[in-house]
Amino acid sequence: MHSYYSFVTGPLAWIAFIVFICGSIWRFNSLWQLTKKKDSAVFEYMDRKFALRSIAHWLIPFGSRSMQLNPAMTVATFLFHICLFITPIFVFGHVMLWKENFNISWFALPNMAADVMTFIVIGSCIFFLWRRIKLPHVKYLTTPLDFIILMIVAAPFMTGFWAYHQFPGFVSMTIIHIVSGEIMLMAIPFTKLFHMFLFPFTRGYIGSEFGGVRMAKDW
Amino acid sequence: MNRFINSVMNMNISGITLTAIILTLTFAITTHADDCFTVNGETIDANSNTRPFVCFQHDAHNEKAGLESCDRCHHSYDDQGKLIEGESSEDKSCSECHAGNVGSQKSFDSNRLNIDLAAKYHKLCRDCHITEKKGPVVCGECHKR
Ligand code: HEC
Ligand code: HEC
Ligand code: HEC
Ligand code: HEC
Repeated sequence: MHSYYSFVTGPLAWIAFIVFICGSIWRFNSLWQLTKKKDSAVFEYMDRKFALRSIAHWLIPFGSRSMQLNPAMTVATFLFHICLFITPIFVFGHVMLWKENFNISWFALPNMAADVMTFIVIGSCIFFLWRRIKLPHVKYLTTPLDFIILMIVAAPFMTGFWAYHQFPGFVSMTIIHIVSGEIMLMAIPFTKLFHMFLFPFTRGYIGSEFGGVRMAKDW
Repeated sequence: MNRFINSVMNMNISGITLTAIILTLTFAITTHADDCFTVNGETIDANSNTRPFVCFQHDAHNEKAGLESCDRCHHSYDDQGKLIEGESSEDKSCSECHAGNVGSQKSFDSNRLNIDLAAKYHKLCRDCHITEKKGPVVCGECHKR
């Protein structure tokens, strides 16, 4: 157990961070080159005003027509994304580890709040899973990889909840928890999870094209 | 785990009796564990209490771990911050040197004092367990519910 713990908190953690950062830079660059080669008009259409206008509309809950038409999905995605980012950064156990390893610390969530937010993430993942299986227009676009990505995202939260509440086998579960987080980090550059970085560009471009060329709203 | 199940059950079944039983049980369990040496309980108890207290059985632990020299934990440093080999400080609690002004502590977000002290304990305890490949390393192994 000790050697596993040392490995996943030592070398593997560094590998995960490096793959995440270098992978993201690589992905950015290759998409950039591809755009330049295949569709360089994208750069000409880009317009700061129209881009920001579109991004703002899509970042505000119910700020777009599509969101108004799908209220359940809108509530789920917003809560999901907020909890997905806030929980791992501010959950108490992680703050403690930042303090120990890098001697920096910040605000920590009350344990109860972290539990509720974990439930929100897991619950939303179940909702997204249900959509992919049950709704025809979503099912049509679904590939097996989408289910794997859902699992990659849900796993750190399920295992973390398990470890924190000390359910049976929580020692091994803590190690699985660490590994699952590292897998998620490493998956970001190479899967559609990369939309966390790409969002402003895709949205910004659509906003620019609709605003500047078609003279229409894209929300 | 029990606490979690309990709190869920509390919501459904007749609240008051169940709570009373649980409280009695919890009380019985905590008071029974009298040979636990609560590390620095006093200093930290007044504060966040974010995790259950660690049951550190001082003498039993050190015997089992084969720690004969007290200064492995109760260390002394000179003015330059250099470790003085062979000199121990068991007459002082860790917080006397590692927690600064205890009076103003409230919680982790408003004050960093607690987290500093807790991190010192973790460094001392967990680092040795990792290098020795023996003893608890995961939060819940020390902070047992
Ligand atoms: C594994 C580390 C470790 C070792 C080795 C160790 N101690 Fe301690 N001891 C502690 C900790 C932790 C405390 C709690 C300090 C506090 O409350 O701030 C403590 C507390 C004490 C106290 C204070 C008890 C009280 O009731 O306040 C005494 C006395 C003491 N130790 C003596 C010794 C002696 C003598 C030895 C050597 C035979 C020794 N210790 C070895 C970790 C250790
Ligand atoms: C007499 C004062 C004194 C006492 C008592 C004392 N320490 Fe220290 N400790 C120091 C000094 C001085 C240093 C070196 C400077 C530093 O790193 O803070 C140090 C260093 C440390 C370090 C390494 C610092 C790091 O960040 O790597 C740890 C861990 C630690 N102490 C834990 C403890 C624990 C746990 C206790 C109680 C069993 C304790 N100390 C008791 C004075 C003390
Ligand atoms: C210098 C090394 C060292 C330090 C420092 C140390 N430990 Fe340990 N600890 C051990 C070893 C070795 C074991 C394994 C003993 C065994 O099971 O043979 C152990 C075991 C334990 C256990 C399990 C005991 C059992 O009965 O299985 C607990 C709990 C524990 N340590 C708590 C602590 C705490 C709390 C501290 C800090 C105050 C601490 N240890 C500091 C070496 C250390
Ligand atoms: C090797 C044993 C050990 C491990 C592993 C450990 N701790 Fe601790 N921790 C201690 C000791 C000893 C103290 C001193 C105070 C006490 O007895 O609660 C402490 C104190 C704390 C405190 C301050 C007291 C409180 O309840 O507010 C917090 C918070 C804490 N630990 C969180 C964690 C977290 C989070 C982890 C896992 C990332 C962790 N600990 C892992 C031994 C351990």
